[in-house]
This record gives sequence, structure tokens and C-alpha cells, in this order.
Amino acid sequence: MPATAVDTVPSLKGKVPDDEWEARVELAAFYRLVAKHKWDDLVGTHISARVPGHPDQFLINPYGLLFDEITASSLVKVDMDGNVLQDSAYPVNAAGFTIHSSVLKGRDDIVSVAHTHTVAGMALSAVEGTLRPVHQKALRFYNALSYHAYEGIADDPDECARLQRDLGENDAMVLENHGLLTCGRNIRSTWALLYNLEKCCQVQIALEASGGEVVELSNDIKESTYALFQRSLKSNSTGSKLDGWESSLRLLAKEDPSFMH
Amino acid sequence: MTVTAMSVPTQPGVREQVSADEWQTRVDLAALYRLVAAEGMTDLAATHISARVPGPDDHFLINPYGLMYEEVTASNLVKVDLNGEKVMESPFPVNPAGFTIHSAVHMARPDVACVVHTHTAAGMAFASVETEVLPLSQTAMQFYGRTGFHAWEGISTDLDERERIVRDLGQNRALILHNHGLLVAGPTIPASWVLIFQLERVCRTQLEAMAAARAMGTDLVLVPVAVAEKTAEGFDQSLRNAAEGRTNFDWDAHLSALDAEDDSFRH
Repeated sequence: MPATAVDTVPSLKGKVPDDEWEARVELAAFYRLVAKHKWDDLVGTHISARVPGHPDQFLINPYGLLFDEITASSLVKVDMDGNVLQDSAYPVNAAGFTIHSSVLKGRDDIVSVAHTHTVAGMALSAVEGTLRPVHQKALRFYNALSYHAYEGIADDPDECARLQRDLGENDAMVLENHGLLTCGRNIRSTWALLYNLEKCCQVQIALEASGGEVVELSNDIKESTYALFQRSLKSNSTGSKLDGWESSLRLLAKEDPSFMH
Repeated sequence: MTVTAMSVPTQPGVREQVSADEWQTRVDLAALYRLVAAEGMTDLAATHISARVPGPDDHFLINPYGLMYEEVTASNLVKVDLNGEKVMESPFPVNPAGFTIHSAVHMARPDVACVVHTHTAAGMAFASVETEVLPLSQTAMQFYGRTGFHAWEGISTDLDERERIVRDLGQNRALILHNHGLLVAGPTIPASWVLIFQLERVCRTQLEAMAAARAMGTDLVLVPVAVAEKTAEGFDQSLRNAAEGRTNFDWDAHLSALDAEDDSFRH
């Protein structure tokens, strides 16, 4: 059996600052959660997080590992120019670097970025029209979802400015003909946002296909619900209990603690 | 961190503090949380399943706020009154806002032992379409004419909404929360499990059938009203049987399956 990152990558625990180690463990958990939900795409797509105390550095996946193999120590630390800042047997994917560094460079308030190629996300991204504000969850993204036109594999640094322009001040974006992107002020809120956006795409694909007439909501309800989400986002900088984050990490640890390696 | 330091608060001695009936309710309810999780019908740590504590008090058990359903156990379920206030010490907070829907049903329907509310993709999609449960399958017919609809009023803690929830549920066993999700109310915990499992399947089936019929340019095949009604009455009878303790819908088999994988719900 081929060796995995758990066997071959020496642990960085105690060798990097505690806050960096915590960010590594949480980011590795994020990869494992995406794998668990089957929202991964073989070795494709990326999730990143800034290195605490070093806003010009971030952690991203070791290219070539499956998401359910990723560990805290195997995550690769890079700077905003793509220089690898640690010994790593794994490279960093160029397209992933472009997308993630664009968001992190453009938005000082953002700590973590996630991107997926799920069936529901890609399907929604391939249909003309926007996410419809027709249920509680979708209202989180009401007037707050960005769209970015596909330009080919994102290895052109010039795309950076257009990614930043299209994202604007939002924290979620549909990459047209490609997939989904969310970003947040911490790792857990980026996960919760990705979870909710994915579910919204599943809902919309199912309800559009049915051809059924939508139960319309009044503008009052749309506006007030969106405002409520925005207020809770502002008052809740560390994430909401509704995301079950600590619980998810414990469950991952119970099932397979190797992400904490 | 964090991960290793984040152990779940434990609450020893609950079994000794509560009646045998309450303990059994706790074990069954914790099992239901695990079954709903295993079916992928959760929404991170949001939404609730509640159960009435047997006895004269209007006391109910709900999940500790912030825990994923896979971590819910018999002991860590929180006992609350109709206002969502704790009536037994617990290291866990509760989410009173989310309990409003449940308390409305429990207040009005003493025949209901357990209320399940979900935010699944199919449930939310179904709840966002102007339709009703069509008699498209035997599974669907158990909800035929037995399903209410409640207009969404936004995320609110307005207790007045309870009256409208009660009115819209009526004597039904299922309530479609428009633009929001699904709710079932059963006479026992095992009955509520069967209801939410089947209602989820009904939503998926109907949406897919609608999509297929639309793509094919054909009509849905609806069972005649009299047949649908007769079939629904058969399901009425099995719920009466459940209420009278004459069926538990093979609940023991579900518990055994859970035990084989992870029996921590029993603690």
C-alpha cells in the first residue's frame, strides 16, 4: 500500500507557532469535511487559510493528495507571490493559487477561502439566471452573491483583478461554468457558508427542474431576513453555534484522527 | 487547541435522576437523532427533534445547542418547558427560537409524542413550490389529505406565530413549512421516524416525477381520489396502532443497527 502523508510528512506540531498549528488542524478538518460530504473532485479544487499573524502568507493543499488524506502538517505555506515557505514534498497548484491569492490579496477582512466543483454547484453555475431568493437559506445570499465569468483554467495572473472586482464585498461567488466559492473571517464560517451555498444550489436545481410555480415571498420578508443574517454576521465574528464546528471536529477525530497529524 | 481540548461536556447520573419512562424516551429520541443524521437529513447543528416526556408535566426533550446530531445522547438531551426554558440542570444551552415551532405543536396536540423538523434540500425545494402532496405513489398516499401548509413569516421569535402553526397543522401528521422545510408530528418516536423518512422520500419523488413529466411533455399519473383516500386511511390505522402500543414499526431493528455501529446514543 502506498504511504500517505500521515506516514511520510513529519509533524509540524511544536515546530510552528501554536496559532498556526491550530489553523492547520482546522483547515485539514475542512478538507476532510468536504470529502465526507463528497463535495471533493479527486485532487482538484482548494481551500485556503491565512497564517495567523502573517497576513501575507496562507496555507493551501499539497497538490496530489486526496482531500481525505490531507493532514495539518502536509498543508503547504505560501506567500502572495506563490513562493513555498516550508519544506514540502508536494507542489502547489497554479490555478488554485491564482484564485485563492486573488481573494486574499483583495480582501484584508477575509481569512479563509473555499472552492468546489460539485454537481449542484456546477449545474447552477451553467444556467443563466441567479440564485432565487425563495427560501430561508437562500436569503443569506439575497443581493449578496457574486458571479464571475469563466476565462479558462485560472493560470493567468491578469484574472486576479477581475476575480476581485466580481467578488466585491460579498463572501460568496458563483464561478460560472466552473463551481462555487465562499470566503469568511474564519475557517468555520467559510465552511458553514459553503455548506449553505451548496444546499441552496441543490434546492434550486430540484425546484427549477420540477417546473413548479414558486411560492413567492414578499420583499419585506426578503429584506428583513437578509438584514437579520447580516446583523448576525457582524455580531458573530467567531462563527455561530449553528455551524456545529467543534462537534464536527470531534466527530472527525473519533472517526479518523489523522487530519490532526 | 481546540480539537483535543474540546471534549463534550458530560452529564453523569441523568439515568438515576429521571423516571424509567423518561429514560426510555431519551434513548429513543437520541436514536432518532442518529437515524436522521445517518440519512443525511441534518443541517449542520440547526433544526430540532423534540419529544414529550411521559407524564402530566408539559416537559419536552430537545438537542443541546451546538452539537451535531451524531453527538446527541440520552443524557445530554435537554429537558425544557413549553417556553423552551430548562427545567433540569444541563451544561448545554438551548436554542429557544428554534423551539417555537415545536412548542406550538406540543401545546395544541397532546396526542403528538415527537416532532421532527428538517431543512433538507428536497424538503426545502418541495416547500418552495406551489403544490400539494400528490397521490403519485403508495408512499405519498400516507400523506394524502393529511398534510398542512404554513406560510413562512420570516425568521422570528414572534410567539403569535404559534397560533397560525397550530391552525395550519390541524389534525394532520405533516406540515410543509413554505420556503423553509418539513415537519412531521407522530404519536410515538418510532412513528415520527417513519413519517420523516417517508416524507423526505415523497418530496424527492414528486419533484423528480414533475421534472420527468415536464421533460416528456406528459401528465403525472394520479391515483383516483377514492383509492388515495382509502390508502391514507390504512396509514391512519397504523398510526392509531402505534399510539395504542400495537406496533413500533420495527424500531428494535433500527436500534440494533445503530448499536452495531456506535451505541453511544444510549449513554
